[in-house]
Amino acid sequence: MTASLELRNVEKRYGDFVAVAGLSLAVPAGVIFGLLGPNGAGKTTTLRMIMDILAPDSGEILLFGRRRQAGDLQRMGYLPEERGLYRKMTVIDQLLFLAEIHGLKRRQALPVIEGWLARVELADWGRKKVEELSKGMQQKVQLIGTVLHEPDILILDEPFAGLDPINQGLFKELLLEYRKQGKTILFSTHGMEQAEKLCDHIGLISHGRLVLSGDLREIKRQASGNSYRLVAPTTAGDLERMRALPEVEVAMPSDVRDPLEAVDPLDASVRLLLKPGASTSELLRQLLQFLEVREFRSEEPDLEDIFIKAVRDAA
Amino acid sequence: MRPEHAFIVGKREYLTRLKSKGFWIATALLPVFMAAMILGPALAASKTKSEQRLAIVDATGAGLGQQLAAALTERVPGTRGEGGEVRFEAQLVPPGPDPAALRSELDRRVRAKEFGAWVWLTPEGLRDNRFEYHAESLSNVVTQEALRSRISKVVSLWRLRAAGLDAAKIAELTRTVELSTVRISATGSRAEQGIGGFMLAFGLCFTLYMVILIYGQQVMQGVIEEKSSRVIEVIAAAVRPTELMAGKLVGICLVALTQLAIWVAAALVLTTPAILGALLTLPPGLTLPAVPGAVIAHLFVLFLLGFFLYSTLYAMIGASFNSVQEAQQFAGVAVVFIVPPLLLVMPILNDPDSPLAVSMSLFPFFTPLVMMLRIAAKMPSAWQIVAAYSLCLLTIAGMIWLCARVYRVGILMYGKKPTLQEIWRWVRYS
Repeated sequence: MTASLELRNVEKRYGDFVAVAGLSLAVPAGVIFGLLGPNGAGKTTTLRMIMDILAPDSGEILLFGRRRQAGDLQRMGYLPEERGLYRKMTVIDQLLFLAEIHGLKRRQALPVIEGWLARVELADWGRKKVEELSKGMQQKVQLIGTVLHEPDILILDEPFAGLDPINQGLFKELLLEYRKQGKTILFSTHGMEQAEKLCDHIGLISHGRLVLSGDLREIKRQASGNSYRLVAPTTAGDLERMRALPEVEVAMPSDVRDPLEAVDPLDASVRLLLKPGASTSELLRQLLQFLEVREFRSEEPDLEDIFIKAVRDAA
Repeated sequence: MRPEHAFIVGKREYLTRLKSKGFWIATALLPVFMAAMILGPALAASKTKSEQRLAIVDATGAGLGQQLAAALTERVPGTRGEGGEVRFEAQLVPPGPDPAALRSELDRRVRAKEFGAWVWLTPEGLRDNRFEYHAESLSNVVTQEALRSRISKVVSLWRLRAAGLDAAKIAELTRTVELSTVRISATGSRAEQGIGGFMLAFGLCFTLYMVILIYGQQVMQGVIEEKSSRVIEVIAAAVRPTELMAGKLVGICLVALTQLAIWVAAALVLTTPAILGALLTLPPGLTLPAVPGAVIAHLFVLFLLGFFLYSTLYAMIGASFNSVQEAQQFAGVAVVFIVPPLLLVMPILNDPDSPLAVSMSLFPFFTPLVMMLRIAAKMPSAWQIVAAYSLCLLTIAGMIWLCARVYRVGILMYGKKPTLQEIWRWVRYS
């Protein structure tokens, strides 16, 4: 599979602060790639460098398997984290302007825009000024503006932040449709759940460095076998004791996540990620000494657990 | 820099502004406002009537006090100065035996508002050409000037009579003279009234000032609007900051040129004799000053120079801040540069080739307004125009370079207000 986007040893500093430290990353064509990491990990800086809004201090960025060429940006769609529209322009004028700066002619763009407005049920709003639209409608216009020039690569910075549920659904539908057409999508998020549901590939970054990347199913398969779910009445102190056990890599309470398991407040659910080669019988023996274990079973690991482990391993 | 992208951005700026009601309202109302600004103070001053009740103590024994009182109440045609008309109400106070007591008595009566001021005429004063004037406030320079000229007149009349001349003869000999003004220019001489030429020069200069300031501020607001609405990064992904900046400056510049062209065209049409005659009858003797085509051409050139000097400054300020309020205090910096020529309109127009006028017109940030005044008053020598315009162009090149660097970094900076050192760092980094 050829990489439609590749970063080679890219570095960016702001004065003394290193935002991106020697990041190498390959995004294969036709996948949804999730760039994950906590706030301040360097995600936005990375995406801005890909969009040529910032220039890297060193390293190189390859697009479509070669160095950047004039006109490449017009084959890309970008939705920045900080986004907005000209409030005083009408919806159609606004979208025509966005189409034009992406290299479309007005005559080509108009039917595309009208098609999109009809699809998102804004056909009657084209002549209205953006400021007259509700927030949800403005989000739809923003999404249309990002994709109306039919980019081959979509770069999205925290695309789901602040979206209402209807637009989140619309966006997911769009991303899956794009993947079906063989286009490449790179989006950043700090929400692991979104990534887990949508991504084919992921890259985890922390402090400007890549700590893990690859096919999501592959990553999960490698990590599974070490992941367990424990149901038992647990206190914070118990959690600490679990983490101190030699077999345990990560111990995370997970009852908030699944409402069905929180029916009995006494039965907290804890996700455990074991160290390689750890013995489950030995672990269980130790747990039984201070916990009243109701359930202990193997399960597929959470992306969040994998991420925490990867960051810890990298440190 | 891809010109077609700058063109798309410029087109957006131009069309959205031209479609707005604000542009057309401003086009219609600004001339009215400017006329009020230029003619208002002059009109108000000429209509202002100040009054002063004055006590006169005459210790000369020569009847000067009575003559002064008469001269002060008499209304002499043609004595209206720039400050308008001053009316006096004079009251003679006998000198009395104790001058010190009388002085404190007069001071008391001034404080009691019985009258506004007192003058003391003495033989020594007559000899030294200096009399005392006492009042609670001395800021009434116009009144003082009127009083001084009347006293001078009374005293010289008195001296002429004392020299044995006949009163009727004196009046005959001391009539004042008026000037018939004729303006010499390359296209020939023509009778004009000085005040018309003055108004034209000031009007052109003031128009330039308004347009540069208003459109400079529009550039600043446009940049801030793109930052505060967060649309900037969406645009920045497809258009390079330099293209965005160039498009914005040129687009807004064309809006301003459109407005200027509408005004100039309207002024030219309205002042053709046929239309003007139908609209109003000019007071006899008043002629409109001729406006040579060269002056209009220079108006547009000077506008372009002024616009790019100041709009780049405004764009930098806009890119550095997140809100108009934050930027406003720095926007004052631009005003500091643009206002001094307006304060010196009088001395510059009075002698357009004076060292002050020439040196100010060569300082790039003053060039647009000062050159406008000088060109409207009297065409400066060619080398001065070339030198001033070249210096301006060099400065503009420097400003564009600086602005592009601040702009490139500033438009992506949200949150806290940058310090001057930080802005300087942006210039060095990029």
